[in-house]
Amino acid sequence: MTSTLKGITLKGSAELVAEFFSFGINSILYQRGIYPPETFTRVTQYDMSLQLTTDVKLKNYLTNVVSQLKEWLFECTVQKLVLVITCLETNEVLERWQFDIECDKSAKESSAPREKSIKTIQDEIRSVIRQITATVTFLPLLESACSFDLLVYTDKDLVVPDRWEESGPQIISQSEEVRLRSFTTSIHKVNSMVAYKKTDSV
Amino acid sequence: MDLEDDTTVFATLKSFNSFISRPDPPQRLSEQAAAGAGLQMQYKRSMELLEAAEKLHSKNQYLQLDQEKRQMELSHKRARFELEKAASDSARDFEREVDRNQELLGRIKRLEEREAESAKSQSEQVEANRALRKKLEGLTQKLEERDSTLETANQTISALKDEIRELKQKIQNQDATISTQTLENQALEEQLDLQRRKYQEVSQLCQSLQSAQSSCSEHIIKIKELERRLALQEQDVVMVRTMKSEVARVPDMDKELRRLREDNAYLRESRENSSLLKEEVEGLRRKLERMERTKEELVNMELEKEVPSVLVQHCFDCVVLKPEDLSREVIQIQQREIALKEQNYTLTSRVRTVERSQSELQGELAQQRSKALEEQKKRESQDALVRRLQKRVLLLTKERDGMRSILESYDSELAPTEYSPQLTKRLREAEDILQKTQSHHAEMEVADKSTCVYPLFRLKIEDLEAERQRLEEQNSILEMRLERHNLQGDYDPVKTQVLHFKMNPTSVAKQQRQQEVESLREEVIRLREHLRSLQDGGALVHAQDDSSMPGSNLRKQMESSELRNQRLKEVFQRKIQEFRTVCYVLTGYQIDITTENQYRLTSVYAEHMDDSLLFKKGSSGSMQLMETEFSKTLGEMVALHLHHQKSIPAFLSAVTLDLFSRQTAV
Repeated sequence: MTSTLKGITLKGSAELVAEFFSFGINSILYQRGIYPPETFTRVTQYDMSLQLTTDVKLKNYLTNVVSQLKEWLFECTVQKLVLVITCLETNEVLERWQFDIECDKSAKESSAPREKSIKTIQDEIRSVIRQITATVTFLPLLESACSFDLLVYTDKDLVVPDRWEESGPQIISQSEEVRLRSFTTSIHKVNSMVAYKKTDSV
Repeated sequence: MDLEDDTTVFATLKSFNSFISRPDPPQRLSEQAAAGAGLQMQYKRSMELLEAAEKLHSKNQYLQLDQEKRQMELSHKRARFELEKAASDSARDFEREVDRNQELLGRIKRLEEREAESAKSQSEQVEANRALRKKLEGLTQKLEERDSTLETANQTISALKDEIRELKQKIQNQDATISTQTLENQALEEQLDLQRRKYQEVSQLCQSLQSAQSSCSEHIIKIKELERRLALQEQDVVMVRTMKSEVARVPDMDKELRRLREDNAYLRESRENSSLLKEEVEGLRRKLERMERTKEELVNMELEKEVPSVLVQHCFDCVVLKPEDLSREVIQIQQREIALKEQNYTLTSRVRTVERSQSELQGELAQQRSKALEEQKKRESQDALVRRLQKRVLLLTKERDGMRSILESYDSELAPTEYSPQLTKRLREAEDILQKTQSHHAEMEVADKSTCVYPLFRLKIEDLEAERQRLEEQNSILEMRLERHNLQGDYDPVKTQVLHFKMNPTSVAKQQRQQEVESLREEVIRLREHLRSLQDGGALVHAQDDSSMPGSNLRKQMESSELRNQRLKEVFQRKIQEFRTVCYVLTGYQIDITTENQYRLTSVYAEHMDDSLLFKKGSSGSMQLMETEFSKTLGEMVALHLHHQKSIPAFLSAVTLDLFSRQTAV
């Protein structure tokens, strides 16, 4: 964390949000069992213990995505980040973890840092991650082998970088949605929500 | 006949062979007896044999010649037969020819008859020809006469033809002129058509123009109406807002009203109190006056009292009867005086307090009156302000709407049509309207208070309120839908694009799955083929390279193992069979396993096929004899050897010996 001690700059805010995404995605992958639990290791972050993957390929993929996301957060061109969980057998989308990002475009590089303590931001992030862990209790079980994908909703006029391509929104048919907590760094506001496929047994 | 010849040949050959073979055994027998004359005999025999052979040979030749003769005869017969056939055929042909000849002769006769007929007819025709020629000559004469006449006629005809030609030329000239005229006519007609079409077009244009004009005027009227309605609506809206604000102010006003009413009531009470107090004061004043009068009267009385006091003293001196009465009276008077003074004092104090309260109340009254006046003034001023502001807002909104409508009309009308002069006209008209309305409103402002048309406005307000609520509900529903869609992940493709990493885990997993599936399919296909080939047993015929080393090795192993199995089976079978036969032969019993742990023994010397002993193997491993038909007949031996001696071999051998003895005896 290289955010300045005296207030939040655009760069610092982008780093905080990117860091949150990195840990949040790892938590979701651990909680939903997309990867076996023995491939995760415990780390301490935001004053709580979180799970981080040790799988090399997954780590590379996440670092690629998160670093690109950090750039986009700095440019304020990203609107949403979505983690899509797909069943490999039926190719159906089963879950969608969506994070809406609202950027205060008036905060540019050179503007003065905003007054918000990092501790408050961390507390907010902690409550969001705790809530994500809690929502897992009412989500339907993922019984078949699943895989995940990260989608980024950006402005239309943004240049698509190498190794990225356009994709569909991968919306779930017949979904239930639950809105979760949000946190703000006073420059970026992140709203979280989860949508899951309704199971046939009521 | 051939067959008979062959059989005779074969019979003769057979007889020859038998004849040749016969002398050998007799030769052998007589060899020992006649050794010396043997050679001669042999020679004779050989000579006989040779003769016989020659005879046979000659017979053979005879037979052969016979055969040949027969064959020749046969061939002769065949040739004769064929010749006869040919002869018959030729006879038939000859007959046919004869028939044909006859037919042709008949035909010739008929033709000759016809010739004669035709000759007759020809002669007749010749005669007819002559007659006709005579006729012709006569006719030709006539013709000549007619020819002459014809010539004259021809001359006239030629003259007439010349005339005709001239006339035709004239006609042609006239035709040419007619054609030119018709062409001119056509041209003129075409021009006419063009002119008519132009006229029609122009008339259509005129109609369209008129319709457009009428529609334009209608539109203008509609626009004006709409503008008016808009203005009215906005006025209504403004009215609604003001009413709302006023309505909002109403509770405050109510509170103020209540307060003022209370104050008023209080003031009225105080006024009443003050009036009461005034009355009291007046009463007290009157009392005071009375008291003063009484005081004066008292003083006068005292003065008068002094005068008569002397008199009284005199009287008192004189009249000693009533000094106590007088003192009493004096005391009473003094007491009365004191009481009166006290009353006076209390009254004066009350008067002062009343005066003070009265003054205070008057002051308060004055204050309240001033406050009420101030508030009224404030209210009036605010009302005036509000009205002025309302009117200003109305004006501004009207101006804005007029400008907006003008702009919209510009935008909507510019593209399809280009009536710029009309637009400028409309602009000017709108500006004129604006100015007129402004002046009108200025006049209205100058005039004091506008007439209120509240009931109509109220109705409009209610309608607008209902519409507003409906719109608010729709708005909330749409917002909820938007929110739902946003939660589900919907996006506006115009402003947003969705990106993802190309090498993302889902696509990688899908590719891996695909590859696995394909490899599994290939393996399944390969294994199925392998199975099929194995089942057919033709493991040698596999041309593909798919079944490479491991497949062929497996097949070879399979074959070798199968062969081994078969051989082992055969070997076992053979060995078992051998052993069993050996057992049967040596022990005299054939041992069969009927069911699990049950053994049937059949003796070599058994009298019947069914005679057998059944032994069962118990759980402890000991053999027990089961009851059969045959064992019933061996009761003694069973008792002796099995029960007493407890030896199965002894029993079996006893049974064998018994049966053997029976067999050999029989």
